[in-house]
Amino acid sequence: MSLPKLAELFEEPSCEHNAKKEKAGCPKPTPGKVGGGCTFDGAYSSLVPIADAAHIVHGPIGCLGNAWNNRGSLSSGPLLYRQAFTTRFLNNDVVFGGEKKLYNAIKEIIAQYAPPAVFVYQTCVTAMIGDDLGALSKALEQKTGVPVIPVQAPGFTGNKNLGNRLAGEAVLKKVIGTQEPKTEYPFNINLIGEFNIAGEFWYVAPLLDQMGVRLICSLSGDARYHQVAMMHKANLNMMVCSRALLNVARSMEEKYGIPWFEGSFYGAQNTTEALLTIAKFFKNPELLERTETMIAQEMASIEPELSAIKERLKGKKVLLYTGGVKSWSLVGALQELGMGVVATGAKKSTEEDKQRIRELMGENAVLIDDGSPGNLLKLYHEKGASCLMAGGRNQYTAVKGRIPFVHVNQERDAAFAGYKGFLDLARQLDKAIHSPAFALSKLPFTLRPLS
Amino acid sequence: MSNEPLIVEDHNTVFDQEIFQKSFLGKKEFECGSTPEEVQKQFEFSKTAAYKELNFARTALTINPAKACQPLGAILAAAGFDGCLPYVHGSQGCVAYFRSHFNRHFKEPFSAVSDSMTEDAAVFGGQKNMFEGLQNALALYKPKMIAVSTTCMAEVIGDDLNAFINNAKKEGYIPQEYPVPYAHTPSFVGSHLTGYDQMMRGMMYYFTRGKEKTKPNGKINIIPGFDGYSVGNIPEIKRMLELMGVKYTILGDNSNILDTPMTGEFKMYSGGTTIEEVTDAPNGIATLTLLPDSTGKVTKECVENEWEQSLIGVTPLGLAGTDAFLMKVSELTGKDIPEALAIERGKALDAMADSNYYLHGKKFSIFGDPSMVEALVDFYMEMGAEPLHIVCTNGTKKWGKGLEKKLADTAFGKKAQVHNGADLWHLRSLMYEEKPDFLVGSTYGKQLAKELDIPLVRIGFPIFDRHHLHRSAIYGYKGLINILTWTVNLLLDDLDRKSKDFNHDFVR
Repeated sequence: MSLPKLAELFEEPSCEHNAKKEKAGCPKPTPGKVGGGCTFDGAYSSLVPIADAAHIVHGPIGCLGNAWNNRGSLSSGPLLYRQAFTTRFLNNDVVFGGEKKLYNAIKEIIAQYAPPAVFVYQTCVTAMIGDDLGALSKALEQKTGVPVIPVQAPGFTGNKNLGNRLAGEAVLKKVIGTQEPKTEYPFNINLIGEFNIAGEFWYVAPLLDQMGVRLICSLSGDARYHQVAMMHKANLNMMVCSRALLNVARSMEEKYGIPWFEGSFYGAQNTTEALLTIAKFFKNPELLERTETMIAQEMASIEPELSAIKERLKGKKVLLYTGGVKSWSLVGALQELGMGVVATGAKKSTEEDKQRIRELMGENAVLIDDGSPGNLLKLYHEKGASCLMAGGRNQYTAVKGRIPFVHVNQERDAAFAGYKGFLDLARQLDKAIHSPAFALSKLPFTLRPLS
Repeated sequence: MSNEPLIVEDHNTVFDQEIFQKSFLGKKEFECGSTPEEVQKQFEFSKTAAYKELNFARTALTINPAKACQPLGAILAAAGFDGCLPYVHGSQGCVAYFRSHFNRHFKEPFSAVSDSMTEDAAVFGGQKNMFEGLQNALALYKPKMIAVSTTCMAEVIGDDLNAFINNAKKEGYIPQEYPVPYAHTPSFVGSHLTGYDQMMRGMMYYFTRGKEKTKPNGKINIIPGFDGYSVGNIPEIKRMLELMGVKYTILGDNSNILDTPMTGEFKMYSGGTTIEEVTDAPNGIATLTLLPDSTGKVTKECVENEWEQSLIGVTPLGLAGTDAFLMKVSELTGKDIPEALAIERGKALDAMADSNYYLHGKKFSIFGDPSMVEALVDFYMEMGAEPLHIVCTNGTKKWGKGLEKKLADTAFGKKAQVHNGADLWHLRSLMYEEKPDFLVGSTYGKQLAKELDIPLVRIGFPIFDRHHLHRSAIYGYKGLINILTWTVNLLLDDLDRKSKDFNHDFVR
């Protein structure tokens, strides 16, 4: 099994998890405890939004069967990323090896779809029996002329975040820097770790256009293969989801000298801050002026409705359970709405994320490590919260507990980024907290006693 | 400034705005894609017979499969037992996927854990994970039993569940007498149905193997199988049996676990088949399997050889299906079918006649799990509809051949092609070759239905994109009316959507 630089990834220098005390890097899961997604899931979901490429899962039916189209990462054009390609590994393949089957499968994809590139994902079984994706990809590339990118992130390697990083490694090694844009432009940026969940990036893209900033690539929401290949031409990288793909920003700084900063599009203040950071970076007075005017307009457009909703949400408290950048950036957004955040998830957050949370929420901030339904419900009641914001696996638990719930992870239908997204976030919270269903829950009659 | 709410455009309209059109033009430079004409040309080609030939010549590649993996079935079977925590020995990601799958289909919490094997476990085996995992799961979630299945990873290493569980007991990680039924469920063999079969047998073995039968309990055992409608179906089965005065045991009754009321608290365990009921099951009259594909191999062996009962496959779906079920129960128990059920039958028949005009002669394609698909095909043929394409990614060869033979002798099924082992991309080519009037299947069929502009009757697993369908029974005469209602109204909606002003009628 050849896992590229696994040890190094565990020691990702920009990741504060790797501070002296936590040598193990990304935390290992506890056996027998409710756990989250795997490395494969992290890698697959990081790269699948590259919409014009074909993505094939080399493994048994389960890995793809469960992952197929399971995130709302939207594309404005090609839809090939939604086709579920797999080698559907069977018993015989385990015994005799699956390289030949994979080779043929990729050839079949290229013959039928002529994609700009094929991403091929390793899974537990195929890694364990030693199928060599590296050599196979090279051979295929030579034979067909189509880039074949091996993503070596089998599930057992660890958690989802490690998968994000291994996906980052794959594009760093084989994709970024392989193509030049046709035209020059003075203000170029990339976004890294923005996945266009529910199409939320489309609340931000027009803003960049209005500013006059050219987006070379968003890795990977609504991305195209060739955009990823040209990423090295950016002047600035913005890291949007902190821990995922951190290695991409850092390596691009080392390799191409592209500086990066960490920001968020959740909340009007965060969005303003991010856009201003971009505008100021280019040291162009007109660009800055355009940006400031635009921000003022955007703020004014959401203000009337926002202030009405704020009135209804004032003083309400939210229990936030999510990971990574969302843990601190959403805290900011919720506070901007005048809401309190009583606790936030920190399982996937870096030390730096945690520090930011403490800055925002105070030193007594409750950082949730045990995300089991029981613990979340207990915390909710202890802290007097009015809403749970978490991922889909907690939605139905919350409803049983008569707890208003707002989706925060990949399954959601609502887009939260940018100014309009912020308004949508406020609307979602308002609808959830004031759902009439909860008001009806008290029994209006007395039960017949058991005879 | 106006106080009107700001319109935040949804995806259907957002791209019409000028700013997006401009943005897309800018993006073109980076896309290096083909021209719209070239794309269109290829798209047209993909609808042709020549492409179909290419498509069917695929040997190594599967595109858009309509099946899931073994442990998914295993944990659904396990979830039907009282106080049982499904536990998967292997890597953690699989379980996170399964939980999402059931959350999204049943709109309910779903509890399951794994022992999170990682790289070192791949080298040294997973016994240590199992020890810790069982100990932690018991301490944290306090289940009455833990049902262990496996992922591919543990199977490739060759971990021995029996030995590991016994060692865990010997070394004191869990009490000696604590029940831990188990099943080996590698994803690279079979499908979720195989997993259901394995775990059901695991349960039966654990609680009944080697035990002498005591006195006959006069009950019928019922195995629901991998059924996305169990929440509606199991109560319907119970109701019919109670009307007949028949005593029964449902083996793997997940209908309360996957349909709990909003009470203000979260209960991890809620009902299900008790250990006493399983232990007593060998004393029953016979065992009925409602979806025979879920009990095809090892469960069958266990019922027939260990329990010395017959395992009878009958799916109570459609008119003849429900008739057969009731008659079989009557034959086995000696209880008559009451008039109340005959009246229900008459009402179902009445509904069928009412809707006949809209279904008779309609052509349909269908995909899903073999037993459910076969029962649905039978029902639609009772309505005079004609199956064109029947696609099962996970049927056995024997089943496929049997169905083909059966259909050849029917009035409405002569044209049907059975494609066993095919995927949904094959189905696309088939539907372009001969376009059906409607498609029956899970949410995975929605892209196909949209592309071909035909209605999708959502019956199957998983249904992620519609709410509450799974709460309805599709079994029994009442379930028949549910399926009929969904189908005929979808066709009528389609008719209304496509009608012009002059024929947009009030009465249908």
